[in-house]
Amino acid sequence: MALDPAVRSAFEQVLEPRDVISDPVGCRAYECDGLTGYRVTPELVLLPRDAAQVAAAVAVCAEHRVPFVARGAGTGLSGGALPVAEGVVISLARLKRVLEVDPVNRRAVVEPGVTNLEITAAASPHGLYYAPDPSSQQVCTIGGNVAENSGGAHCLKYGFTTNHVYSAEVVLPDGSVVTLGTDTGEQAGPDLRGVFLGSEGTLGITTKITVKLLRTPETVRTLLADFPSVRAAGDVVSDIVSAGIVPAAVEMMDTLAIEAAEEAVHAGYTVGVPAALVVELDGPVEECDSQFEQVKAICEKHGCTRLHIAGSPEERAAIWRGRKAAFAAVGRISPDYFVQDGVVPRTRLAEVLDRIAELGRDAGIRVANVFHAGDGNLHPLVLYSAALGETERAEKLSGEIAELCVEFGGSLSGEHGIGTDKACSMPKMFTEDDLAVMQRVRDAFDGHNICNPGKVLPTPRLCGERPGKYEPHPLEESGVIERL
Amino acid sequence: MSELASSPDSAVSTPTKMRPGDLDELRAAILDTSGPVGISGAGTAADWAGPLGAVETVLDTTALTGVITHNPGDMTVSVRAGTPLRALVEELSSHGQHVSLDAARIADGATVGGLLATGDAGPSALVYGTLRDLVIGTTLVLADGTIAHNGGHVIKNVAGFDLAKLMHGSYGTLAVVAEVVLRLHPVPKATATLALDCPLDEAPDHAARVLGGPFEPVALEWVDGTLLVRIEGTEAALDARAARVAEALDTDERHFRRTGSDDGAARQGWGAHDAAVRGAPGSAVLRIGALPSRLPALIGSLPGVTAVTAGLGTGVATVSLDPAGVAEAHALVHAAGGTSVVRSRPAGSDVPAWGPPPSAVAVLRSVKNVFDPQGRFGPGRFDPWM
Ligand SMILES: Cc1cc2nc3c(=O)[nH]c(=O)nc-3n(C[C@H](O)[C@H](O)[C@H](O)COP(=O)(O)OP(=O)(O)OC[C@H]3O[C@@H](n4cnc5c(N)ncnc54)[C@H](O)[C@@H]3O)c2cc1C
Repeated sequence: MALDPAVRSAFEQVLEPRDVISDPVGCRAYECDGLTGYRVTPELVLLPRDAAQVAAAVAVCAEHRVPFVARGAGTGLSGGALPVAEGVVISLARLKRVLEVDPVNRRAVVEPGVTNLEITAAASPHGLYYAPDPSSQQVCTIGGNVAENSGGAHCLKYGFTTNHVYSAEVVLPDGSVVTLGTDTGEQAGPDLRGVFLGSEGTLGITTKITVKLLRTPETVRTLLADFPSVRAAGDVVSDIVSAGIVPAAVEMMDTLAIEAAEEAVHAGYTVGVPAALVVELDGPVEECDSQFEQVKAICEKHGCTRLHIAGSPEERAAIWRGRKAAFAAVGRISPDYFVQDGVVPRTRLAEVLDRIAELGRDAGIRVANVFHAGDGNLHPLVLYSAALGETERAEKLSGEIAELCVEFGGSLSGEHGIGTDKACSMPKMFTEDDLAVMQRVRDAFDGHNICNPGKVLPTPRLCGERPGKYEPHPLEESGVIERL
Repeated sequence: MSELASSPDSAVSTPTKMRPGDLDELRAAILDTSGPVGISGAGTAADWAGPLGAVETVLDTTALTGVITHNPGDMTVSVRAGTPLRALVEELSSHGQHVSLDAARIADGATVGGLLATGDAGPSALVYGTLRDLVIGTTLVLADGTIAHNGGHVIKNVAGFDLAKLMHGSYGTLAVVAEVVLRLHPVPKATATLALDCPLDEAPDHAARVLGGPFEPVALEWVDGTLLVRIEGTEAALDARAARVAEALDTDERHFRRTGSDDGAARQGWGAHDAAVRGAPGSAVLRIGALPSRLPALIGSLPGVTAVTAGLGTGVATVSLDPAGVAEAHALVHAAGGTSVVRSRPAGSDVPAWGPPPSAVAVLRSVKNVFDPQGRFGPGRFDPWM
């Protein structure tokens, strides 16, 4: 059933008619996000130019009960920005202004279409930066980060998006505009900003965000260490933590991931070693130096076979290039892959990785691992060939891995979100009552179920359908962004 | 479960007190009663926010205590919500771990659930945030007896809506918090506090030099005439950094009190802060949040102020003032774009708990409505908003 022409003209009243895209070719550009196996062409794509137009467009949706899906850069990996049939996509891409950088109060006020990295770029003349650093940061938008509560390698020390947002101006699903959050940690009542963060576009559209800025650290020390086993590398992580050290980042890669990354970018990793760790410390120079010595000693204690310390910013960049290239690089050793994002308690890393390897062997499918070891956020890459008919097996394995993380006391997702992709796995992690209470919160914001319907919480309709295979994001293919 | 009928001198209005000992008893207590319920913890903040209206039942959470699981290697702990945070911190100390929250009333025995429900925090919120940033999961019991879990035992987790955040600052109006999972931090090896005497209007310049430097202060607070700066770190490195902070403050050495590196001694300088948070006798205590750069002038404009502690990095202050000035103070804070709530008031005084409502008050009401449609929990706490 197509959209009522009256609705379209209502949108054309509140936006400029040329900002209402209806031709199927134009709309198809919005048919998927980074989870490219799912595609739905929307009826219309709206390109508002400011917050008032967003509110007016949402009010039209509310009046006519038209479902809408907010969209930032479309880099999401869980199908959160997947359009809804018979609905509209509201793109925030044109709300791109950095409205204010306030060095005194160490914060910035930005529109949702500003990219993560643009915030840091605007802040850096003041010696400040925006801490959460998803590896898609060159292109992903702060609006998308808020919706997904995105993380990054440096979130171990600094926290996630939710810890760095003071307030958000939000267009609610009825078209009204409110501010969630305040200028400080003091809230007037329950923390509504906190529940909006990470709600994956289901509670409203944010049109203005006030983020916290941190002072650029005085010192950064980075090392790359090789280990004879994943277990030894895991023990290093545990020992660092129990020594009371909170590194800025601790990342791990296994043999396959290292092999792929080296082939792609020649960053100086040792091909063939079972595991490599990247450990980074930052902060005041005295602290950084004294703790770095401790970290080196811990690596040596656990039989590290090579310890490479970045001696210059260029060497540090090379280490990170290798780490960040791992995702896209698996394309060199496998025609197709799925990526998972489950989290396990850090102490169970080695055990879980053994189980993943076992599941992979049983399925006859290779799994490469590159992940945020400090917080137990795995990113298993399930390597397969669609041409050889392995899709179904790989898909099954991928789902098993996500659910394995829950069995080990962890979570289905650490940063990519539930979206369309994992909604049907939610009952593995939550009871019916848990999910029903989440639904109540959604109802409190969106009484007519028009705001990104069908995402996050399982619906019978969705959970009957099957996803397609993973394909690289177009920006990834062109090498603009990498997958972490 | 113990059901203690309080002494019946005012038989009609005396609520029945229920003190469940586990989750099942808690749920049963909610289902076995009807009518309005007050939720109480250790009672250290019983008179914060709006006064509790007439209730038939008081649900006392103080028998819901104890650690459920502590995973030292993962630095997470789950506890029953009636556990005093002080007791939890003692228990964790042998592992060199703690909950990075330094609200003054922890020392008075405040429970984990009570601290969460009141959104309380201390000066180290500058770095560690408030409990909203440290809670990674909760188990809740709703007014209709529904038990709901959210979050989990891992610090990184985006599965599902983050309902724990809604409990932060809910003052017992949405659900009973039964269990809480917390993220832990290492107890710092060494702590130092630098103190500088200065008037409030000069403090922001000093604060700016510290915050603008590479020192990573964990707390920065102006308390009735003294600016306190706390840093944490390793034994080996702390002194050198403390010396650099002293230099950045650029003032005569003798203005500094360098307290010892052990936690107890470092706490000393903060006694004045704790006292200011508890409030001056006979005054109303107002908790204020405002843009840090606006805070000093705002505090200066409030009527009848008798004690102040102001976080110059966080923008959060606690002031004591004449109860007669509270309504005006709310209006002034609101005009400065801030938020304010009364934390305590002299017995018998009638002061407005809240100022003008936030723009999202309609959302607060609909959240209240889906959690507790009959309005059973915490009547009066958000008067007159909801
Ligand atoms: C190569 C690659 C690497 C990645 N690396 C990481 C990583 O390291 N860490 C990480 O956390 N993620 C990572 N991601 C995932 C993704 O980049 C993040 O989820 C990002 O936050 C999405 O931002 P976006 O602007 O692309 O949002 P979109 O994909 O357009 O949308 C994501 C969700 O946000 C909602 N949304 C968008 N804008 C708004 C708004 N203004 N208001 C309300 N809702 C809105 C959408 O409806 C959707 O549900 C990666 C993705 C790719 C492709």
